[in-house]
Amino acid sequence: MSVQNAMMESGLFEDLQKKIDEDTQVKDTLREIVQQLEKQGQHTIDQTSARSTRPDRIDSRPRDPSNLVKSTFDAFGRTIENQVQSIQRLAEVASKHPYYRYNYAWTREMQSATFSILYCAYLGGLNTQAGHLLTLSEVTTFMQSTPFPSLLSTLSHPIPLIPLAVPPSAPNTDSFHLTPEEYLQSLISLVDELSRLARNSVTLGDTARPLQISKFIKDVHAGFQVLNLRNDGLRKRSDGVKYRVKEAEDVVYDLSLRGLLPGQGKV
Amino acid sequence: MAEPTSDSPESPFLPIFETFRKEIDEHHERRERVIKASRDITASSKKIIFTLHRLRTIGQSLPDHIAKANKPYTTDIATKLTLIAPDLQGQNADRYSRQISSGLQEYIEAASFQYYLETGTLLTYATAASNVRDLCTGEAKVKLGYEDYILGLYDFTGEVMKFGITAMATSGTIPISGPGRTLLTDLRALRAGLEGVRFGGSPVAREVDKKAEVMRVSVEKVEKALYGLTVRAGERPKGWMPSDGDGGRGEGVEV
Repeated sequence: MSVQNAMMESGLFEDLQKKIDEDTQVKDTLREIVQQLEKQGQHTIDQTSARSTRPDRIDSRPRDPSNLVKSTFDAFGRTIENQVQSIQRLAEVASKHPYYRYNYAWTREMQSATFSILYCAYLGGLNTQAGHLLTLSEVTTFMQSTPFPSLLSTLSHPIPLIPLAVPPSAPNTDSFHLTPEEYLQSLISLVDELSRLARNSVTLGDTARPLQISKFIKDVHAGFQVLNLRNDGLRKRSDGVKYRVKEAEDVVYDLSLRGLLPGQGKV
Repeated sequence: MAEPTSDSPESPFLPIFETFRKEIDEHHERRERVIKASRDITASSKKIIFTLHRLRTIGQSLPDHIAKANKPYTTDIATKLTLIAPDLQGQNADRYSRQISSGLQEYIEAASFQYYLETGTLLTYATAASNVRDLCTGEAKVKLGYEDYILGLYDFTGEVMKFGITAMATSGTIPISGPGRTLLTDLRALRAGLEGVRFGGSPVAREVDKKAEVMRVSVEKVEKALYGLTVRAGERPKGWMPSDGDGGRGEGVEV
């Protein structure tokens, strides 16, 4: 030890560097998975916007979302399946480490994947009834469900919602899970997307859907009223839900004014 | 039949939201408690540092009046840490690490400053972590992350600088911290050590960069002051005091 260094124990900073390097290694592993999830997420978003904007991709017969052109739906399901596989890989790696230490690395992509799942389910995919809002534990169960042959005898698209024996990860553990905040953020994304779908489905000649959407958004809005949100990201975004309520109502209003709602005689 | 805004009195999704309510409320309560405690710990740590600046030498145990003056602040830090320790257990340790970070950093700054003044050496991470643990008198203990330790050390270099400048201005020599060592050689060793630590792309990296710049300036300030002392040393006898109206002393020394 040189005289100059007698101020500090030798190796003090080297030991700290070792801790940082270990940390960096974990982050790199996680980043690789998250980047893949991000790419897959982008793909899903492309498809969801295709669904709400391209006339040839959607069957305009009202009140029957299951008539969404099957090939598009299957593609949607497949992309989500890929996302779920990435999430399961992520869960495996992430569960070995303190949950919130690296949470920032994946939270955005988890929200976007959750949005895809909520949206697909709302449209009637993932073996759910159209208009259904998956709960947090349903989303978790779905993320844990596995399309791999060893656990499921058959797999047909859209992915069946089959819960595994594994219970949804309880909060307050370090194991990988979807947080309520992430779920709610995704739900707001869903509301944003649905208010867009309300307008676009009218363009495509579906005048029944805006009614369903308007009710759905209102119900979600009522749900947010129950929460005491403080000044954080969730609060800021949830403030926007009331504008979506209004947007969807405006569409319904436009339709009813012109007698275009189902049961109003026209169409 | 056409009832476009058919409001059902009760949203079917309420049960979903009800399940979140308690958890979100608890989260905010914990978070606020931690933020408040962090602020208090910061304030008390600053006061400890302030008192320590009354000292002029390195390597002696704290005089009674200093130790006594700082006692209530240390007690306050211990109380606050004990109070929030239960909020920082398990996964919540990392969940609220950003909220408690500034308080812990400031505490490390104070603790390492005091340790340096007493011993002339650097408080290690292990000792710092066990200090933090021991301050919690309850069952639950607060863990000190190594990031907060390092960030605290960066701030500590600023205190060493201020201490050095004041000591040089009042005594006319640079404080000796050990055999063959001065405050400046220590500061340089510290700078070399801290600059050797690479954070890569972590969120702390940006904070570290900012503090690293401040640290460089601190080292330079002490170098400049020492240069001033060296250059002018022969020009005035030891213990020389300025007569009225002579403001020449301490030039180039800013604190």
